[in-house]
Amino acid sequence: MTLDILRWHPYARQGLSWAVTVLSVLACLLILPTRLPGMELLSVGPNWLLIWVVAWSVKRTAFQGALAGLLLGMLQDAMTAPEPTHAISLAIVGVLTARLQKQRYVQEEFISIALIVFGMAVVAETIIALQFSWISLTQPDLPNRTLTEIWTYHQRIALSSAILSSLWAPAIYYPLNRWWSWMQSFEQPSN
Amino acid sequence: MYAIRRWWDKNGVRVGLLLLAIGGVWVIRQTQGSMLFELYRSLLLPFTPRTAPADPVADARTRELQQQIIELQSQNQQLQELLGYVQKRSGPNVVAPVIGRSADYWWQQITIGRGSRDGVAVGSIVSGNGGVIGRVVQVTPSTSRVLLISDPTSQVGVVVSRSRSMGFVRGQSANRVVMEFFDKVPDVRAGDVVATSAYSQLFPPGLPLGVVESVNLNKSPAPEAVVALSAPVSHLEWVIVSPNPKAESNNLLLEPQTDVQTEPQSQAVGDRLFAQAGSIDPGPGR
Repeated sequence: MTLDILRWHPYARQGLSWAVTVLSVLACLLILPTRLPGMELLSVGPNWLLIWVVAWSVKRTAFQGALAGLLLGMLQDAMTAPEPTHAISLAIVGVLTARLQKQRYVQEEFISIALIVFGMAVVAETIIALQFSWISLTQPDLPNRTLTEIWTYHQRIALSSAILSSLWAPAIYYPLNRWWSWMQSFEQPSN
Repeated sequence: MYAIRRWWDKNGVRVGLLLLAIGGVWVIRQTQGSMLFELYRSLLLPFTPRTAPADPVADARTRELQQQIIELQSQNQQLQELLGYVQKRSGPNVVAPVIGRSADYWWQQITIGRGSRDGVAVGSIVSGNGGVIGRVVQVTPSTSRVLLISDPTSQVGVVVSRSRSMGFVRGQSANRVVMEFFDKVPDVRAGDVVATSAYSQLFPPGLPLGVVESVNLNKSPAPEAVVALSAPVSHLEWVIVSPNPKAESNNLLLEPQTDVQTEPQSQAVGDRLFAQAGSIDPGPGR
């Protein structure tokens, strides 16, 4: 199997790598509307796209992280509502994750990933809540939550989603990280 | 020239894939993820039961009451026709399985497994066991997305069945909605039944919604009541989708939808819903 892929044309290999990446995004998207038993806390589940963005950005540049966050955020917008957008929050998560000097803090990879995901989930929900607050301040005529409602709800969502996302983070991070580093190992000798 | 050529040889595939990804995401976003929902439904199809379960609470007494209602409804219809008050008869109902919930936690939406192929249209009324729960905001060939009444962005004009006190409800969370009255001193008490009012432009009048749980008359700017929805919104498995005569007659997408006519700010209320519905499915006139 390994030798087979080694003999492939670099383009074909790159295509395969991208296909697997796209499929993993698709899997994350399709799991979003489900509410599987045992995956919920206060009727809030893990934020799969956020885990994916963190897994992607951890070993990449800030630009790549922002781009991935933007694209995945737009996909989540497509599945809910275009306003407020998830693209901003996920893009910021991508940039922050890429800028983090994570080797400096915790050696163990899984634990540091779980911690990053925990922090980023709080950041992402806060940015969404800020957008909701902005909408309710600038357009008070629209039916929406009041500011107090937004921020009490934010506490509930941010905490549950952070806990669950950080617990489920290895389920996405581990296979994807293995795959990407495997693909990387082929790129090195050829270049 | 040579430098550009070399850069292109090195990064061309990457740039191409990137453009492809951006294009794909843009298409998905513009179609409101309809391909994703179709795929989701086809993956979930083996796990969805084919037929709705027989109504477990339909005992003899309930059947008797239902027959009485049908009798009264047809009498009412005849009397309205005599008065010249013509109301379009609604078409057949569709029973649909609930296949998914909202894709994030700030929205109260559900996805159901019937779409335009089964006659579901944007604006159709969705009700669960016990009362109305929301309306369809997006359809794909075999799925549709329902904005629940419990979502904070949906407002419905309602009336207290006993005293005809008017107001509107806005969603709060899970199973509760808050009803705001137009009167300063409404005639309402805990236990009253709340139904959609004739002033609502999104819902036909007289659909049961819920029961008043508590009343706060001192609330400013308007008295408020907490209404418990009678349908179990948080754990629905099957819903009934019925065509919306108001949506058909108003041509929902062409006119701005003011939800409650007597409400001064209702224009903006409707506009928000309008913006949502409009961005989801640009109608023929837009």
